[in-house]
Amino acid sequence: MPTISGIAYKNLRRKRIRSILTILGIALSTWVLVSLLGFNRGYENSLNKDIDNLGFQVLLTAKGCPYEAATLMLQGGQGLRYMPENTVDSLRADKEVEELTPMLMQTVFDPGKGEEGGVVGYLGIDPATYPKMKPYLTFREGKWFSGENSMEAVMGFESAELEQREVGDQILIPGKNVEVTVVGILNRSGTQDDGTIFMPYKSLQKIFGVQDKLTSVGIKLKKTANINAYEEKLYTIPDVQVVSIAQVKNTISNLVSTARVMVMSIAIIAILIAMVGVMNTILMSVWERFQEIGIMKSMGATTSHIFRLIWLETTILCLFGGIIGSLLSVVLAKATGALIRYILPYSPTGSLIRIDAPLVLESMGIILFIGLLSGIYPSLRAARIKPIEAIRSSEGEL
Amino acid sequence: MIKRLVLLFLALSPFLAYAATGCDLNDPDRDVKRLFPTSTGYKTSYASIQKSGGKATLAAVEKALGDKFGGLYETIDAPYTIYTIYKGNSVIGYVHGVNQKGAYGGLQVFLALDTKGKITGFYYQKLSSKNAAKFKAAAFANQFTGLSLADFATLDIKTGKGTGKAALIKNPSTATDKDFLNTLRGVKKNLVLMNVFIYNK
Repeated sequence: MPTISGIAYKNLRRKRIRSILTILGIALSTWVLVSLLGFNRGYENSLNKDIDNLGFQVLLTAKGCPYEAATLMLQGGQGLRYMPENTVDSLRADKEVEELTPMLMQTVFDPGKGEEGGVVGYLGIDPATYPKMKPYLTFREGKWFSGENSMEAVMGFESAELEQREVGDQILIPGKNVEVTVVGILNRSGTQDDGTIFMPYKSLQKIFGVQDKLTSVGIKLKKTANINAYEEKLYTIPDVQVVSIAQVKNTISNLVSTARVMVMSIAIIAILIAMVGVMNTILMSVWERFQEIGIMKSMGATTSHIFRLIWLETTILCLFGGIIGSLLSVVLAKATGALIRYILPYSPTGSLIRIDAPLVLESMGIILFIGLLSGIYPSLRAARIKPIEAIRSSEGEL
Repeated sequence: MIKRLVLLFLALSPFLAYAATGCDLNDPDRDVKRLFPTSTGYKTSYASIQKSGGKATLAAVEKALGDKFGGLYETIDAPYTIYTIYKGNSVIGYVHGVNQKGAYGGLQVFLALDTKGKITGFYYQKLSSKNAAKFKAAAFANQFTGLSLADFATLDIKTGKGTGKAALIKNPSTATDKDFLNTLRGVKKNLVLMNVFIYNK
């Protein structure tokens, strides 16, 4: 006694080329779907990683204090303002804060720089928190300071090049006559850090006599935090100014949202194409087997048998198509990522397409569901075929 | 708008300077006039050991210097800026600076030279030293005036000893101050390079 699944399998094998082409069509749709969903995840993830690599999102400085090199130089190294070091403790208590790092900028006039002298800047940082905030800073040689009070310096690539310093060399803080040992030289990062001389902020506090004072605090917020709202909150602290990358983050968020809408639109189109393809194939198959189905019914097959048979054929096609498409998407993920990277005007670092088992299963589920949905109409049409009509239709052919 | 850009550039210049690997005058118009008061103009050109013979030239430079090139600035492709000084249409001299590793930072040793290669002026454009004032004093700088590469030929830059006039240059600082020898090395390197780029071309 043949089973429904056996008959369904045999039916598909009878029209091998068509079945293969249908499976191929579904496979391609699945490939597109998995790749797009994978891109959606990978793109967002990579952008978030890039934002993380920017370091802190909010910089809190004492009101009027220059917070970047250009302003500092415009002011001739003057105009530094301070905030008490314990500001860090109150900031740390906020639940929206993931990490923060205290900083102390100090400048000194170096009469040996140029004809009329020049300003040299030192950035005091906390070796325990600052490196984590700036993961893109890597070492050409050496490492960060041995302790938070050490008389050691880490030099950005350009500053080391200008001063011709190597690990183990000394630098002199002009005016203070303090010798500092270079313990690390950073690789070029393409940022302001390249021209910076880093020292432990506690050491700088001692050298410059500004104990318990900071010029700025770098704040990294939790991903769920609302930067704009947090910024407003910071302004309740007296005598501070806030510099944030909220605008950058908002722009990136908009970029992600736009990409998501585009990706989902294309995914829906891919699903619709698959759906129409499956429906067309099964419907064709039903019309071709019009008489055969009529005879099956006249031999005792019920409406339910015919419906299940046709639906099962649809399921088999979708299952095979889904498996092949998923495999394709996994195998070609790197190539697809490279293609997208080539096409996109800006693409973040890291893997652009992230495909994992849950995503594959989710996509397979979608394809199967869509397949089953598109199989309903042809199955219903097949189930409604009346044996007498089917047999009559064959009379003209005889 | 242009004024703002210029202002921004000037403000950034101490940091942008880090991006340059050559050794340029901070203010060429002012510096040239100071070093050559009778000059009417100057022309800037760039040279490198790479473009002047490559490895063979580097070997010759190192031999003449009596020391190997090393560090971040002493590479075969490091660009050197040469200022050719004019009085009317005639060349009256050159200004050339080199970077030299110092005890506490980079030294920028500039020489003003006449057309025969004799030093007419010496100065540090940059110097990080506890005894900077002594090194920058005219008494020290004037000791270089009138000397040429021939006077440095036998000078051992690691000891400061030799048979030429350069060996008579007195250390303005303490005997342990390495920047005296660093300066001698910088001056000799400057002269050797100028010999390759200009005088022995």
